[in-house]
Amino acid sequence: MAIDLISYSLVPLFAALIIPFIPRKHRRITEIIANITLLSGIINLGYVIIYYLVLNDYTSYTSDAFTTLMLFTIYLVGMAITFFSTYYEVEKDTNFSSYYSLILVSVSAMCSLVMSRDFFTLYIFMEALSVCSFALITSDSKTFSIEAAIKYFFLTFPASVLIIFGISLLMINYGTFDFDTIKFTSMNFLTFVSLSFIILGFLIKAGIVPFHFWTPDVYEGSYSPVSAYMAGIVTKVGGIYAIIKIVMLLSSYGFGSNLSKLLLFTGFLSVFVGAIAATVQKNMKRMLAYSSISQMGYIILAAATFSPIGIIAAVFHLINHATFKTVLFLNSACVEKSTGTTNMDELKGLEHRMPWTSWTSIIALFSTAGLPPLSGFWSKLLIILALWQSGHIFYAVAALIASVFTLAYFTIMQKKVFFGKLPEKFNDIKEAKYQLLIPVVVISLIIIFTGVFFNRVFPYFERILS
Amino acid sequence: MIFYLLIYFIIVVAAAMAIMSKKLLNSAVMLALLSIGISILLFAYNAPWAAVFELSVCAGLITVLFISAVSLVKNDEDALKEKRVKYTVFPLMLVGFAVIASIFVPEYFANLFQFASFNPSNNPPLGDMIWLYRGFDIIGQITLLAASIFVIKHIFTKETKNEH
Repeated sequence: MAIDLISYSLVPLFAALIIPFIPRKHRRITEIIANITLLSGIINLGYVIIYYLVLNDYTSYTSDAFTTLMLFTIYLVGMAITFFSTYYEVEKDTNFSSYYSLILVSVSAMCSLVMSRDFFTLYIFMEALSVCSFALITSDSKTFSIEAAIKYFFLTFPASVLIIFGISLLMINYGTFDFDTIKFTSMNFLTFVSLSFIILGFLIKAGIVPFHFWTPDVYEGSYSPVSAYMAGIVTKVGGIYAIIKIVMLLSSYGFGSNLSKLLLFTGFLSVFVGAIAATVQKNMKRMLAYSSISQMGYIILAAATFSPIGIIAAVFHLINHATFKTVLFLNSACVEKSTGTTNMDELKGLEHRMPWTSWTSIIALFSTAGLPPLSGFWSKLLIILALWQSGHIFYAVAALIASVFTLAYFTIMQKKVFFGKLPEKFNDIKEAKYQLLIPVVVISLIIIFTGVFFNRVFPYFERILS
Repeated sequence: MIFYLLIYFIIVVAAAMAIMSKKLLNSAVMLALLSIGISILLFAYNAPWAAVFELSVCAGLITVLFISAVSLVKNDEDALKEKRVKYTVFPLMLVGFAVIASIFVPEYFANLFQFASFNPSNNPPLGDMIWLYRGFDIIGQITLLAASIFVIKHIFTKETKNEH
């Protein structure tokens, strides 16, 4: 593992262990500890990344830069969710007994997961992450959220069984599960079976079509900031990251064309089924969930090319998707709080009362749909380029067409929720509190800056993934 | 041989009892017994570090967690009047499976040893194994433990934000 980065996973873990010793009446101290822990991490990581990004000189950069970037994304989304939850006033029956501890433990587990250098460690931290998310989903103690948690449990924990089975077969075959020492010299039957089990498990965890049945229910049913957390980072680090890692491992051995075909087809299905299902949804959060499935498909498509530019595109889109999906889900939480519903047929004209929420939504949705000069445009361009260069012209054209679908369903959402004449029943609603807008605005600025300064960002990605 | 057969028998009985038992507490104790049996088997099969982890984590720690969780749940098992006699078919199936497996599986395991590319006799000492090779697992253990404690606290205790 990357021993020099270990403090990024130890500090949140110890902060989480301190929180239960704080008296219950001093809840503010709990919130301050959770926020300060993540804020200090994000300042530290942001300094490291921006320093090299501005200098554009990587000769003295020794740490694992890819891991650092993933850590930054995890801290960014974790920080946004924690800060948002602090000011997101909730109904009476919301369970807050160990909410912040669970967030901090899951941030720590995700950091350790991206730092791990072997399959078994990766599995351990993925399990810790799954258990934490299972509990976080039930935070608002509603019947719907408990149902979502049970669905999550029954559909993703069998996936863990598949993964551990595959990993043990890998151990039988090679005697090691280290990323560095494992050598896929020949594709014998056991390797084939073990990799199939592992990839199947991670595809279920990531919620890719045809294993997507749990995602819409979970994102719709869970406590609103938690659904942003799940969609923003948990399914990516717990599912997609491992697939990208396996692709990176296999691409250096020159075989994997069958795996490439399989992943391309799953990614293609995911992109289209997600996009088409999203156009017919009535509920805003459910629509965002299907959009999430569709965007995950893009990441799989890019990774499945097994080419260096494809892997750069996959990682770049993973990080971009973490940013813009967090913004959209947090905005839906703001809308739900102000109006009491996320049903798009009941909402209309909210832009007159919630301009900040509306404009940050526009930035995020334009980025998702791939409009220049936002960050999403560049990552989609890279994905299509990677597909075209590796000869998968059909999939490249399909990806292009699906991005038109993306623009269509997001425009429908924006029109239904924010544009139009304000109905009288919404006359007295107000913009969300400025504290709730801070994380949304900050992440929107990151989306804009990543897109505008792409000439600086691309060499960085090229460098860290070489 | 009789010793191993006895342990296999204990494992099967404990597993069946853990599922069939009407009281959650009994299930937890039976699971602990199952883990102890498995860890003895792991010692016998020359995997001491796996055995130690199995003993400390599954038999010790998880049992403590289960028992604390059971004590948090309201004790109304008596209200649960269901007939479980018909489910005895499952343990019987398990016994049937065990008999069939004892005929066919040993051969399969003998085949599996051909795939093993490490020599089980030169395992490093336990302390070296933990600190030198698998140091990161200690953090994994702490993370899993913390996660499980917070999950139990989160799901089984009710506390609301507006209470104070």
